Amino acid sequence: MEDIIRIKDLKKQFGKNKVLKGIDFDLKTGERVVVLGPSGSGKSTFLRCINRMEEPTSGEIYFGNTLITDKNIQKMRQDIGMVFQHFNLISNLTVMENLTLAPVKLKLMNGETAEKKARGLLRHIDLLDKAESFPASLSGGQKQRIAIIRAMMMEPKVLLFDEPTSALDPESIGDVLDLIREVADGGMTIMIVTHEMSFAKEIATRVVFIDEGKIIEEGTPEEFFAHPKTPRVKEFLEKVL
Amino acid sequence: MDNFFEKIVELFTTPEYIESLLHGFLLTLQISFFAIIIGLILGTVIALVDTAQKSRWMIIPKFICKVYTTIIRGTPMALQLFIMFFVIFAIRGFPQIITAILAFGFNSAAYVAEVIRSGIQSVDSGQTEAGLALGLSRFTIFRKIVAPQAIKNIIPALGNEIITVIKETAIASMVGLYDLNMAAKDIGSGQNMASYIVPMFVAALFYLAVVYLITFVIKRIEKKLRESDSRV
Repeated sequence: MEDIIRIKDLKKQFGKNKVLKGIDFDLKTGERVVVLGPSGSGKSTFLRCINRMEEPTSGEIYFGNTLITDKNIQKMRQDIGMVFQHFNLISNLTVMENLTLAPVKLKLMNGETAEKKARGLLRHIDLLDKAESFPASLSGGQKQRIAIIRAMMMEPKVLLFDEPTSALDPESIGDVLDLIREVADGGMTIMIVTHEMSFAKEIATRVVFIDEGKIIEEGTPEEFFAHPKTPRVKEFLEKVL
Repeated sequence: MDNFFEKIVELFTTPEYIESLLHGFLLTLQISFFAIIIGLILGTVIALVDTAQKSRWMIIPKFICKVYTTIIRGTPMALQLFIMFFVIFAIRGFPQIITAILAFGFNSAAYVAEVIRSGIQSVDSGQTEAGLALGLSRFTIFRKIVAPQAIKNIIPALGNEIITVIKETAIASMVGLYDLNMAAKDIGSGQNMASYIVPMFVAALFYLAVVYLITFVIKRIEKKLRESDSRV
């Protein structure tokens, strides 16, 4: 499989605070990488640098063979979907408008096709009756599942999940994880920052552990969870499992 | 008390007085209306510059806007009015009403800019991020997402600013403009202290009526905007 994302010596600092201290990372098509790490380790920042929700301080990120720059990032984002911790459904637009705005505006499909596709996806997640609702009237779990299909509307080549269940009540976490699982089973290339260890174990083809702005260990979930190599990961796993 | 009623009757039966009041009222409305329009347009431009993405081209415009709002908001309106009249537009024959409109308009712009800027900035950054992550342009994000949400925060405060401008135009009488405030003073003058009461009172009612009308309209708009918020 070819690399879809290549990251070289990525650094990010906020003021004097060095959050990412040089990350090298490759993502292959079809991989499902789970990014783990203690809070404040920089894992969300790492993910957010990939589609430039955060401007990297230095380093290079390639999407396919193209170096991502300020000039071409807007186009790249059509292929790099993102699901946020706080869903970020657009509150002045209906569910249907949330789903169709970008694909139609960016001329990826016409209005009719987009609506048809949106209806299909909404039906699939059992929320077709919410098509004309505004986000304010939805529960967290409903919002996040809609946010996921909103990203899917763009037919991205890779999907980034930034702690997709952290802001949810326990009951709706299951629904959201089911949907992510389904997206993964469909063959989507995925990167996910999460604290759901059992889900990580189940879904990941590779686990990456970040601490203090560096990748300190990575491997298959079997290796990572059963035979961690570094003391830091051992300590982390003892606490969370 | 008899005297008071006599005064009221006198005011409303003397055509010159009525004419003076209406003339003053009309001037107040004219200055207010055009000053508000200038304030809204210029204020919007300043707010857009102020909230625009930082870039090389925006450094100087942003700086100018910052200086402008700082000076306007940091000095008294009356002083700004004097400067406009006696320094900048101290040109013989230049229409006073235009000088006044510009003075109040330029002043209001700084406040309108602040209202709009804070309205735009109060929109959750996650809304912009959602648009960016979908590949939308900054322009589309502003037009479709940020602006419609900001409007809801802006309208009430903008209503306040409009009301402030209308009342503040009363100081135009300080530079000799015959506005509503001046008319009231004029009608009352040349007699005794008590003679001021009625015209001042009537002028107050005129101001109140306009402010009340605007408050009413703003409330209606707010309600309309809220309705669209809770549509299910």
